[in-house]
Amino acid sequence: MSQRPAILVLKNLTKSFGKFNAVDGVDLDIADGEFFTIVGPSGSGKTTMIRMLAGMEPATSGDIILRGERINDVPANRRPTCMVFQSLALFPHRTVGENIEFPLKIRGVPPAARKEKALALLRQLRLPESYYGKSVLKCSGGERQRVALARALAFDPEILFFDEPLSAIDYKLRKTLEKELKDIHRETGKTFIYITHSLEEAMVMSDRIGVMRAGKLVQVGTPNEIYSAPRDKFVSEFMGDVNVIPVSLAGGKLISASFDRSFTPPGLPDGFASGHLVIRPEYMRFLDSPDDAENSLSGRLYNEYALGSRIQYQIRAGDHVFIVEKLRQQAPALDLDQSVLIGWDAKDSVLVRD
Amino acid sequence: MEGMSRSGRHALIWAWTIAVLVFLYIPGLCIFLASLTASRYFQFPIQRWGLDWWRKTFDSIEVHQLFKTSISIALAVMVIAVVIAFFGALAFARYNWKGRSIYQKLVLLPIFFPQSVLGLALLLWFNAIGLELSWKTAVFAHLVWIIPVVTLVISIQVYSFDPALEEAAFDLGATRWQVLREVTLPVLLPGIVSGSLFAFLLSWGNFPLSLFTTGADTTIPEYLYAKMVAGYTPGVPVLGTVSTLGAALLLLGGYWLIAMRRRQKNSREGS
Amino acid sequence: MAGFRNALPLIIFLAIGFAAPLLAVIGYSFMPERSFGLLHPPTLENYAAIFNGNSYISFGWSLLLAVLTVAFLALICYPIAYGLARVFGPWAPVITLLFTIPLFVSENVRLYGWLLFFIKNGVLLGTLKSVFGLELESWLFTRPMILLGMVYVYVPFMLFPMTLGVSMVPNETREAALDLGATRWQVFREVELPLSMPGIVIGFLLTFVLAVGAIAEAKILGGQTVIPITHDIEIAFTYAQNWPLGAALAVLLMLVVGILVLFVLRRFDLDAVLGRR
Repeated sequence: MSQRPAILVLKNLTKSFGKFNAVDGVDLDIADGEFFTIVGPSGSGKTTMIRMLAGMEPATSGDIILRGERINDVPANRRPTCMVFQSLALFPHRTVGENIEFPLKIRGVPPAARKEKALALLRQLRLPESYYGKSVLKCSGGERQRVALARALAFDPEILFFDEPLSAIDYKLRKTLEKELKDIHRETGKTFIYITHSLEEAMVMSDRIGVMRAGKLVQVGTPNEIYSAPRDKFVSEFMGDVNVIPVSLAGGKLISASFDRSFTPPGLPDGFASGHLVIRPEYMRFLDSPDDAENSLSGRLYNEYALGSRIQYQIRAGDHVFIVEKLRQQAPALDLDQSVLIGWDAKDSVLVRD
Repeated sequence: MEGMSRSGRHALIWAWTIAVLVFLYIPGLCIFLASLTASRYFQFPIQRWGLDWWRKTFDSIEVHQLFKTSISIALAVMVIAVVIAFFGALAFARYNWKGRSIYQKLVLLPIFFPQSVLGLALLLWFNAIGLELSWKTAVFAHLVWIIPVVTLVISIQVYSFDPALEEAAFDLGATRWQVLREVTLPVLLPGIVSGSLFAFLLSWGNFPLSLFTTGADTTIPEYLYAKMVAGYTPGVPVLGTVSTLGAALLLLGGYWLIAMRRRQKNSREGS
Repeated sequence: MAGFRNALPLIIFLAIGFAAPLLAVIGYSFMPERSFGLLHPPTLENYAAIFNGNSYISFGWSLLLAVLTVAFLALICYPIAYGLARVFGPWAPVITLLFTIPLFVSENVRLYGWLLFFIKNGVLLGTLKSVFGLELESWLFTRPMILLGMVYVYVPFMLFPMTLGVSMVPNETREAALDLGATRWQVFREVELPLSMPGIVIGFLLTFVLAVGAIAEAKILGGQTVIPITHDIEIAFTYAQNWPLGAALAVLLMLVVGILVLFVLRRFDLDAVLGRR
């Protein structure tokens, strides 16, 4: 990623509403042609951030630099960027074709050339050409999605922004559209900046992911880096169900106060004092004896849940609840309230600071 | 517009709105000023200020009678209009039924109708069926125009009403009457309150319908008009000011009530 | 049919209070001159009298003044409607209230306020005279003054439907158009105006219909420079004691208004304007 030149550089970008900083000093480089996703819970500032980048919200301070030029004061209609809105914001009084042609009409492109371009985009987005004259109000959710994307592509922007466009779509269709979007990204070679609250969605599509919390980017990295090496408890928990044990360093050992014992760490970071030991549920194993893994705990099976291809077990040990996941064909048959021994190897755990 | 900053545009819109509001309130201000003169005829700048005409007007038995008539009509209109319009609004916005679209347009027709012509039409109608004109026929005449307005006002509230609330109450064992009393009415209360205010105030200020339908009874707007045309005294602006201030106070009071209720509800939910 | 059951009281009331009186007017319009009952043999003489007379001048004035009123109000109210829907934020309810209050004061009283403002030795001319020593003729009893009165009286009737219309434009479509490169003017023409059209047209219709039926403005501020059609009708009913002629004039006015209203309303989905999703 780093060998490609940066198309967009953010320097100390801040947006304040009164005393509250919705976006708080963000620094970020986005490479040309990258699919970059900002993930965060609602209220983390991601929507404010993307609206600043698109020019719909003025930044309070900091710089937005597009190909070496500061564009803070360039209004949305003169920025070579384009956004696909959460509501899609299709023009309800216009047909599919007129919606797609809108940016071309604005630029004074003659009707014949407009139509040609619109039809090409319909084909590229796997919509039938007969949709050209159809009212957008008569299109289904997935079709509207494609029309919105086609309209943004017709603008031929340097960067496309996406503000959670798939959040209102049902699971199955969303999965299809995620893949399609990634294909379109590949076909067009444009820079995509996407925001979502779903890390799962971000994982599927992105080259890099930035995790946002309380207006700050807490971690930026490839999906793999974020998944396997979350920087803190927030990032690790944001990735879905994980096991988290509060720990602190005492006498060179990693001590858990609540279990009143020590655990074997995956290697101690410099200057670590206290934090959390994070273990993903698929790395947890059922053990026959405590010696089968570097760390082990005993507990009781409280409940089990079938998650499609996997089975998830909820194990209660002391005041803690642990989650273990196994592929269906490797899942043991257990009784409720049965005593079990669970454990993990140190290399499969991550030690994060608070 | 192009090239002007957003805040510049907004400042212009504010300035324009305030200018139009000033324009809207100039006549009221003039009437108020005219009521404060002590001389018989209005002349500006006022030479002799005084509240004599206010005292004279309030002491007048004729004026007391006017108030009684106007208030009786407005109260009767308010009560009848709100009851009919409440159900009318449910039919307008809550239920999907076959004739709804036609019904909606039928309800709007009287609003989209010149009131003076409507007043005359009612005069002919009362005459044709042999009704004697009095403040009661005026109530009927006001209702023809005011019920549709109140129906619209309540409908706007009904549009944001979730029918699932009624179904839930029904499902929980409430009778149809209990559903109405416990769920529908309380939820729609703000709309009903503003509908009542509209009904009272529109009736209070109405002139064209009253003119042809009150018979021997006289409302305040009718009296004022007669005095303006012939026999002006500063009692006219006094009464005009009183009726304007009364309307404004009632409206502000109602608005305050609704705002208070909303705040109360928010603080209850906000914890 | 819960809907019909709820609608029934209102439908019955409008049948007795609205439809029946209109039928009575139509009935009277076919009665012989100066009769006061409905039991005479029908005749067309009232309509003949109208077409041979000069009521068309009053009709013309009423229509012209109504059109001008609508045009002025459109320009005056659009920025305010836009402000109420988009700019004023927490102030919007208060401003709406301020625009509502005058609605509840008899228009006679308010127009009389303008009379006091413009009259010789009134608020305007009296001030000019005492402060600047200027002595001007009063502008009262002129045609522009009638127009001013009408524009003044009907502000809320244009403003409120227009505000509903402007608030129907989703903010994101506006932003999307800007984002796609449209200028402010293009956003207005391509997105805001067409999407707020339902509210705007209802405002036009309402003010036009009310202005065609206006009478007080011409009487109070216009002297006798213009006799609107409603004044003709009133004269027929009162001084002339010729109910059938008045009724025939009223029928013609109702035809103009009714056809226009039905034609425009037929094309509207009221649910969309008033906020049902």
